[in-house]
Amino acid sequence: MKSSILRAGVIALACALGLSACGGGSGDLYLAGAVVGVTEDGLVLQNNGGDDTAVVAPYTSFQFGNRVSTDDQFNITVRKKPDNAEACVVNNGKARANYYTIGQISVTCSIKQHALTVNIQGLKGSGLVIVNGADRHDVPVDTTTDTTTVHMATVSEGGAYGVTVLQQPTGQNCTVSGDGITNSNGTGIMGKTEATTVIVTCKP
Amino acid sequence: MKFPLARPALALAITLTLASCGGGGKATFPINVMVSGLQYPGLVLSTNGQDLTIDPPATPGAIVTAVFPNQLEYGQTYEVVPKGATVVNHAATGGAQPKHQNCSSTLFPPYGTAGQLAKIDIRFVCSILAYPLTGKVVGLTGTGLVLANGSTAATVGVDPNLDANKNPQDVPLAMNAVPYNTTYGVTVLTQPTGQTCTVTGGANGTGGGTMDDAAEPDGVNNLVVTCVTSS
Repeated sequence: MKSSILRAGVIALACALGLSACGGGSGDLYLAGAVVGVTEDGLVLQNNGGDDTAVVAPYTSFQFGNRVSTDDQFNITVRKKPDNAEACVVNNGKARANYYTIGQISVTCSIKQHALTVNIQGLKGSGLVIVNGADRHDVPVDTTTDTTTVHMATVSEGGAYGVTVLQQPTGQNCTVSGDGITNSNGTGIMGKTEATTVIVTCKP
Repeated sequence: MKFPLARPALALAITLTLASCGGGGKATFPINVMVSGLQYPGLVLSTNGQDLTIDPPATPGAIVTAVFPNQLEYGQTYEVVPKGATVVNHAATGGAQPKHQNCSSTLFPPYGTAGQLAKIDIRFVCSILAYPLTGKVVGLTGTGLVLANGSTAATVGVDPNLDANKNPQDVPLAMNAVPYNTTYGVTVLTQPTGQTCTVTGGANGTGGGTMDDAAEPDGVNNLVVTCVTSS
């Protein structure tokens, strides 16, 4: 009888110690997650309105400095987004902490998109095809105007673009010259301005 | 001895009872297949001596569902692979894949034992193959050369390779792989210090083209970026 009471007491004490260790202030769970769509500095996250954490290169993950304990409420928000991001969204950022919930957090930013316009001058022959990498555009001849405008797919801010002639029109030779301001040969990095124009000149 | 037929009659009754229990009630398991991302014909899946040809969906992007002709009995093992694939530790390579694509079953195991799960549900996901876009950089002495394939994929930086006498050596160039049936157009994003580089090669001779049937399976390997000292 005596030993069984002793055993129960020891177990209870061990349990109490174990629980207090788990609940203790600093916590034992790292609050972390994946980051998608970030290409530059500037993203700052907060937990419960504090513990500011900047996301740094290579911009694929974050981890808060303060650990949390099981059952602590966490609420991750975006304090500041990178300059080139349209919006940043926290997924599964609000829950009570446990091994499952802390493994489900991620932050996704969408990068600002800007128009890329190509002005084609003097096009008389059919068959001109211009590309920006995988973005292909067949350019029909428009006899009513000397300048044909082609709207390419939008380009991410800070991302590269490079317009080239994939196929020359019949009887003409077209060269990409750029607008001379943001680019000189139809290749460059998309700036923060709303539109970038590339010039293609076709000559007999 | 009074009832000479009693024993055979009993035996017959037992036999009939057993037969009614087993008859028609035997569970069989159809092998259901779902294939997503399929765009081109040629995929043939195979298991337990059966073949199942999967054709692309009528609506592009739709998921194709199919069932193998014969069902399995409880306890039979199965492993669905592209017909003729080499299988090592349940990892299948090769076999009857669709043209320009590769289909794999990495999300759920395509093997098991009938009855293990309530339903046999095989999932294959197909992706378009990408082919290399490579070549060389000639005459490069300056630093900072960056090449782009439009806005598609990441840019590629190239450093010079000088021999003991400071003469430039050809530098291998590898742009990011280009998926089948998409265009490419390589341009110089940043010129190296003191030099001007121009791009030639590709299908159109000026660093552009389409990764088409003619480029399969080796890709396009004739890009030449020629750098000369700026005047």
